Amino acid sequence: MKFTCNTKDIASAVGAASKVVNAHTTVPILSNVLLQAENGKIAVRATDLELTLEHAFPAEIGEPGSVTVPAKLFSSYLGNLPAGLLELNGTPTRASVKCERSNYDFHALPADEYPPLPAATKGSHFTIGAKRFRDGIDATIFAASSEEARGAVLMGTLLEIEGNNMTMVATDGYRLAKYTTTLDDGIGGAEKYIVPSRALAEASRNLGGADQIAVSALGAQSNQLQMTAGDTSITVRLVDGQYPNYNQVIPAKFDRSLTVNTQAFIGSLRRAELVAGDRASMVKLAVSNQTLIVTASSDVSGNAYEELEVEQTGEDLTIAFNARYLVEILNHIKSAQTVIEFLGPLSPAAIRPVEPLEGGQQLYVLMPLRQ
Amino acid sequence: MKPARFIAHFDIDAFYASVAIRDDPSLAGKPVAIAGSHRRSVVLTASYEARPYGVRSAIPLYRARELCPQLVVVPPDMPKYKSVSRDVFAIFEQHADAVEGLSMDEAFLDFGETTLDDAVERAQSIRAAVLESTKLTLSAGVATGKLIAKIASDRCKPNGLLAVAPGDEESFLAPLPAKSLWGIGPKTAARLETFGITTIAQIAALDDDALRNLFGSWGRDVRELARGIDNRAVEPDRETKSISSEETFEYDVRDEKQLIAALREQTRDVVAKMERENLSASTVGVKIKRANFAVFGRQTHLEEPTRDPRRIFRAAVYCLQRAHLNGAPVRLIGLRVASFTQGEPKQLSLFISPTVSP
Repeated sequence: MKFTCNTKDIASAVGAASKVVNAHTTVPILSNVLLQAENGKIAVRATDLELTLEHAFPAEIGEPGSVTVPAKLFSSYLGNLPAGLLELNGTPTRASVKCERSNYDFHALPADEYPPLPAATKGSHFTIGAKRFRDGIDATIFAASSEEARGAVLMGTLLEIEGNNMTMVATDGYRLAKYTTTLDDGIGGAEKYIVPSRALAEASRNLGGADQIAVSALGAQSNQLQMTAGDTSITVRLVDGQYPNYNQVIPAKFDRSLTVNTQAFIGSLRRAELVAGDRASMVKLAVSNQTLIVTASSDVSGNAYEELEVEQTGEDLTIAFNARYLVEILNHIKSAQTVIEFLGPLSPAAIRPVEPLEGGQQLYVLMPLRQ
Repeated sequence: MKPARFIAHFDIDAFYASVAIRDDPSLAGKPVAIAGSHRRSVVLTASYEARPYGVRSAIPLYRARELCPQLVVVPPDMPKYKSVSRDVFAIFEQHADAVEGLSMDEAFLDFGETTLDDAVERAQSIRAAVLESTKLTLSAGVATGKLIAKIASDRCKPNGLLAVAPGDEESFLAPLPAKSLWGIGPKTAARLETFGITTIAQIAALDDDALRNLFGSWGRDVRELARGIDNRAVEPDRETKSISSEETFEYDVRDEKQLIAALREQTRDVVAKMERENLSASTVGVKIKRANFAVFGRQTHLEEPTRDPRRIFRAAVYCLQRAHLNGAPVRLIGLRVASFTQGEPKQLSLFISPTVSP
């Protein structure tokens, strides 16, 4: 193979792909990225067998073909090149790169040993506005579990598609994030996918180049999901398992609420958390007389007391939360005001923005701490 | 006599063996070893009658029997030892400002500022009280620092008391082998020997450069200790840093199911200990000793501290799977929990179902 391209194009494509490569893989070829030259484009692909990222960019193809190059090495090299043109000559064992007056030879591995993409048997297919999808990803995946011992299901994010509606849910068992939106082009029936959250994080990072994202289930058992925007696609193996019945834990009705300035509340919680200190980061919220009092204390650090003006409905309440969880949720709320609804000191609280995101609804549910 | 801060180190003589002999007078005067009936058991304690044969703790039982064919082997009775230990520690607590237990049969006691005579008298009355209440003898070292107190009690065993007067610390330590100092293990001792250093006196005499070369950053601390300067305080109720439970198999195990069964048993054990100490853990780890004695571990972090046996067990199984044993024979498996917070976990769960939020 042989091609000439812009150094910035190839650097950004290989840079993005190399993030997918598992640094600890024991299969040598999986440390490499695959470059395929065809039809005026170079497709750069990396995979860890669960997640595959492919990005194509235009180039002048001298001779079509493919080559695989060590991802980290090649991406560091490309990152250090000046803007300009680069010429690459690939063989099964070598990739020779010319850029201005420098020449590099990289050891390669035969491209035909690179894992193929999953069979393109397409299942359900839908399209969604890119911004809505990215908003949904940013609003939910942080709430998924990061504890590997609890298994892949809770580390994943649920995508529920029904007709023209999509609901995304992530939970680690202590807090839950839910985002609902509409699709540009829906599906006939209903589908549920548990997507590894890191694949959605990659999608949010890499699928910004187009207005619309196309999503398709792949494989005979629909066990893969492919998300495509323009010349970039991410393919991921879905999590096999039963997602917990999340609707069951979202209370249908609440009996009291408060509306608070989001940024002021975040500030108070962050300061109080410093004092709360220990791992549970316990802050107490007392709501009374249209005032929210945030307190925290520890033997080591001292006492915290913060007052905030709020809009209160229903009876007074004292409840305790892990400040870290609460701040993380509030950090994902763009609205100036946030509503928090309660049932009691040991029941789940619901948190949502007063002004919803354009085209999407956020809801968070957080369990309190036992005092 | 000038008052100084005195610390005493107490150690019950041949603890397990002494309890066995006390409760079965027919064993008196015989070489006795406490050991399980397990094929791979090791001697836990040997009576003083067994020691001249070379029988001592930690040697394999079969080896002990070779060394001393007339050895009487008694199985251990942990609940009994624990109860005796509680009685002994209760006496310690009555007689000292602070007690730092090192194990069931060993403790440092802080006597505070006093005279040597008073400290010795107090140590003697503790020995008398323990003998009267439990019929067991213990040895005591009395000194101005922990290190010397411990060395002293070792040197007057069994049933002795040795006191080192303030000012005599350096001369007491001087002739002792370098490895008697805390922090100098067999490897460091061997390295020191290549430089011709074998006694504590030689360490006490080293200059700053030599110290740095031999010991690195803790060189000055080692020399202070060698000169008998030891200001470490007796630290009562040492904080629990980790809790573990392990099992050496009678025969090497290749079957993962059997390893998982052992972890399930150990989870119960560890959780019971956490409940006693009112702790929750957020680190769970598994220790594995392969048939070739290679020891390694895997550990994982939990999002919220817990003492729920289901969550700990599942994390342990996850660690075991990550060890990728692939049927390799295992000699020992152990479970360890750490990163404790006091009390019960406070974070409430959204889901009740154990499959989701154990």
